[in-house]
Amino acid sequence: MLTKFLDTLRQRITRPLQYYQDICVRCGACIDACHFYVTSGHPAHIPAYRMMLVKKLLQQGGNGRKGLLGWYRETGMASEQMVAELRKALWECTGCRRCSVFCPFDLDTALMVNVGRYALGQEGMGMEMVAEIGNAEVSKGEIIDALKEFFVDQVRELAERIRQEWGVPDLRIPVDEPARVLYVPVVGEHAIIPLAKIFHAAKESWTLSMFTATNHSFFVGDIEKAKQAAHWIVEEARRLGVQVIAYAECGHATRTLLNFWDHWFGEELVGIQRVSVVQLVASYLQEGRIQVQPGAFDVPMTYHDPCNLGRNAGIYEEPRMLIRAVATDFQELTPNRELNWCCGGGGGMIAEPDMLEVRMKAGRPKVEQIQRTGARWVVTTCENCKTQLADLSERYGLGVEIKGAVDLIADALIVR
Amino acid sequence: MATIAFLFYYVFPYIAVAVFFGGLAYRVYRWWQKKLAPARFSLFPRPQSRLGRLLDALVDMFTLKGLLRVNPLLWAGGFIMHLGLLFVLVGHVRAFTDFYFLWKLLNWGKEQQHTFSAVAGTIAGTLFTIPLFYLLARRWSGAVKWLSVPEDFFVLLLLISIALTGFHMRLLRTVEVEELHRFFAGLASFRWQPVPESAGPAFIWHFALVQVLMVYFPFGKLSHIIGSVLSKMVARS
Repeated sequence: MLTKFLDTLRQRITRPLQYYQDICVRCGACIDACHFYVTSGHPAHIPAYRMMLVKKLLQQGGNGRKGLLGWYRETGMASEQMVAELRKALWECTGCRRCSVFCPFDLDTALMVNVGRYALGQEGMGMEMVAEIGNAEVSKGEIIDALKEFFVDQVRELAERIRQEWGVPDLRIPVDEPARVLYVPVVGEHAIIPLAKIFHAAKESWTLSMFTATNHSFFVGDIEKAKQAAHWIVEEARRLGVQVIAYAECGHATRTLLNFWDHWFGEELVGIQRVSVVQLVASYLQEGRIQVQPGAFDVPMTYHDPCNLGRNAGIYEEPRMLIRAVATDFQELTPNRELNWCCGGGGGMIAEPDMLEVRMKAGRPKVEQIQRTGARWVVTTCENCKTQLADLSERYGLGVEIKGAVDLIADALIVR
Repeated sequence: MATIAFLFYYVFPYIAVAVFFGGLAYRVYRWWQKKLAPARFSLFPRPQSRLGRLLDALVDMFTLKGLLRVNPLLWAGGFIMHLGLLFVLVGHVRAFTDFYFLWKLLNWGKEQQHTFSAVAGTIAGTLFTIPLFYLLARRWSGAVKWLSVPEDFFVLLLLISIALTGFHMRLLRTVEVEELHRFFAGLASFRWQPVPESAGPAFIWHFALVQVLMVYFPFGKLSHIIGSVLSKMVARS
């Protein structure tokens, strides 16, 4: 049982993963960190237990040796129950890394979960839907020329609509044009409209990417495919000679862009700056390139730090700056920043319909946090969080509206 | 019995020291054989400069400030235990040599040296031992019971046994440090000396258990003595 899983895992144990397996003292600091464990009480949701399960399976090597050493190291054949626990441990995790903040050694359970997911996929125990979307993102680059005409038509229609609704006759949405900024959206016009307005107001030289920032292969731990999918964007950026790649409000994509791309693409990125669009818009505001109506929204609002923008990429202040520029009543969640609770919908679960109940349950700490602030609007900067928070609001009757930080700015723009 | 005691007095100490240092070196070597992490796995906020990150990792390692923020009780258990251990280890310098310089500086005689050692040693040992019992009790509490494996109990009980045999010598005997100096100098120079009689029967148990600990040390979770700072640097890469 689990031979493919174990073989794949053995090949993919890197230096940090080996540290983690060897030095975890099972102190239990991570118990209170995991939103899955605090809402389910199931041991397979404790971060250290997830690590222990994998370690146990790796040590036994399938030979089921017993005896004193076997008892001491808790080895034994992989049982049905163990496999069930393993699936729970590896798939019911949002990779938020809150447990790493709690851990006195900063052990990265999410990294092990990521590698373990890929290995489980080899065993046929993967999240098929997420993997399929990932594959589509990889193959999109091969057929992009065929898609281009359709894409350009759609964008032209969208631009026309914005011009009419907004009353700005010279607004353009450039596609596949040389420019300073390449903006990479997520699927859906809601990711394009606010930025088209902001870029217009800032008189930015920009172009819209034909690809999307999302990278579902990353969720299933398939780093090779994740790299391929992201490489289409690098190629596009180089072809158009851009100086800045700006990613839409999307958590995992921003993390890969800022933290993984150096290793993935190295020299190909020389002369290209990489930012989250939140940082870019904050810089416009700071440099006075755009003006907004101060206090434009007289609504109590709060900000949810997405795990991947916050503790995993260090973007804490820029979103708050955007909110403060337009809000009258802004309250922090408690805890916030690197100790913020995960929304409960990350790690690719949004794309897997079977996971709805799991993520609704895991979102309870988030719901309580939002209720304590009394906010009517919840602002966040991650597509995944937005979907999850909207679902939570409906399920728990929160009645809050979910907004992106750049949406606020776009709606409060003063255009001359 | 006498043969076993003889081995623990005069033979096993060499093996224990060799396994301890060799084992730790082997552990690091095994880590270094693994492939590097394929990307940066930073946790934010983190200091900007490389030196800043190293300092932050070291400060966090020696103060456990991150744990203090999220779990003060566990922090107290872990931190005080380690602090007590550090004091105890410093005190054990007197088993091999003495703080001659310090005594001279303070102009303390034999009597004062002994009183100071008794008080400081008892405090350090208490700081070390009481948290160990807390950590042991914690192993059965709440969700921690799911995380407890034989190794955890083995290590805690071993440390507690070492501490209690140490207390026996500290509180119930008057150990002549000169005897200890002679014994250990003999071990170091391969000119074996008689066992320190003033330390009483607890000495051999204490000495043997420490050797067991040293042999076990590199091969279990105690390798966090080196691994924790490496792991912290991954989170600050």
